[in-house]
Amino acid sequence: MMKGRYENGNVTETGRLALAGVSHGFDGTDVLDDISLGVNPGEALAIIGPSGTGKTTLLRLVSMFDRPDEGTVEFDGTDVWTLSERERLDIRRRVGMVFQEANLFDGTVHRNVRYPLGIRQSWPDRIRNWLSGLGRRKANPVVTEHLQLVGLEDDQFRPASSLSGGEAQRVAFARALSSAPEFLLLDEPTSDLDPRNTAILEDAIDAARSRGLGVVLATHDMHQAERVADRTAVMLEGRIIECGPTEQVFTDPEDPRARKFIDGELIY
Amino acid sequence: MVESLLAVAVDSGVSSPLLVDFPYGRGAVWNIVYVSLYVSLIAVALSSLFGLTVAMLVGFNDFPGRSFVIALINTGMGFPSVVVGLVVLFAVSSEGPLGQIGFTLVFTREAMILSQFVLAAPVITGISLAAVIDVDDGVRDAAYAMGGTRLDVALTTVRQARYGIITGILAGLGRAISEVGSVLIVGGNIEGQTRTLTTAIQLEARQGRFEFALILGAILVALVLLINGLLLKVGGGRV
Repeated sequence: MMKGRYENGNVTETGRLALAGVSHGFDGTDVLDDISLGVNPGEALAIIGPSGTGKTTLLRLVSMFDRPDEGTVEFDGTDVWTLSERERLDIRRRVGMVFQEANLFDGTVHRNVRYPLGIRQSWPDRIRNWLSGLGRRKANPVVTEHLQLVGLEDDQFRPASSLSGGEAQRVAFARALSSAPEFLLLDEPTSDLDPRNTAILEDAIDAARSRGLGVVLATHDMHQAERVADRTAVMLEGRIIECGPTEQVFTDPEDPRARKFIDGELIY
Repeated sequence: MVESLLAVAVDSGVSSPLLVDFPYGRGAVWNIVYVSLYVSLIAVALSSLFGLTVAMLVGFNDFPGRSFVIALINTGMGFPSVVVGLVVLFAVSSEGPLGQIGFTLVFTREAMILSQFVLAAPVITGISLAAVIDVDDGVRDAAYAMGGTRLDVALTTVRQARYGIITGILAGLGRAISEVGSVLIVGGNIEGQTRTLTTAIQLEARQGRFEFALILGAILVALVLLINGLLLKVGGGRV
């Protein structure tokens, strides 16, 4: 595993899905400052840092919600914002995301998990499958497989509104995986969950990575980063101040501020 | 029951104790119901199409003057129907902007549809817009993050907001079908052509035939109940 190299005081890394020299802000306030960070298939990268340091903004840029003010978002070395909307959509569909809130849609658990499959069909197919009910039947094996991953295969036809917070987040995880993305972005996915649901989701993250997914996990839970991630980046005030193999970052960080943060001495 | 009452009145050729001075044949009553439904359902369908489009455009986009547009829509919800009738009458008269380009529609069903459209569209737009805005941003984000196109995100939002949207359509329908001022002005209450349930009720009441006016009123209420019930069924009983 390559250790990040320092450039202009910022750690720079690359990968198949990467940010290169990205700066971004809102209403005149800089949130991200010259970030270069990447992830490859089959590895889990944790981004740790205090709340408000820019982790969510970073993930939203990687997920192509917004265009960065400066720098590029790259997939296979191509700046995604130079592509047409159709081409960018194809890349977006290879990157799944789970938010801090489950954000489930009305309807059943089954409907939520099959949603990404439905929107990938052509409109004539969607209408045909909707009229015949074939779309739901076709999706059954995929829905069951991904709900098994989070231990909810017996709850497929429960209304999403009846789920507990932890169950809803597990469904959101299954939904993000059902369309077989190559990368998965997780924005504080367990911050509101109890230990049992957290453990189930961490196992699911591990299983997804074992299948070859590249995982980016933004979290303020340092122990979770230690449990889940191959590499860890420490983010402070919109900059990546430390990045490397998780064990090394936690035991021997180079940046003194990263050490203070990890030791719990840097309070924000 | 209404039909049998009418049948008694028409077939017997004499006034029943309930239906004094019954003025119409059965065909005429059906024609009044038909004109009411024809005008109101087309107006509400067009208003829904227009209102939903505007609600999505305003609800999804931030642009200069957005607050003004929302205020305008909300103001439109309270337009006095007589004023709307007057404006539409002028617009479709030979001297009005529509009349001058060939759409002279005074005392026609089309003019009535136009006036009901003007009345119902702001109601449907305003309530739908509130429902769309009320959908959690997280739902839209999730639809986008799953690989949804703009259309997918819009349709997902509409589905989430469907109870509010159906409420808006019901309110619009209620405003259109129960409205009397503007359709009287632009339609002229011509028997067999532009006479609706509301204008017929108004006429019968003015002429003192209260029983018949009440029967027409009962038909109107039954129609509104029936349509509301159908929409309630579509909305899953949560409207």
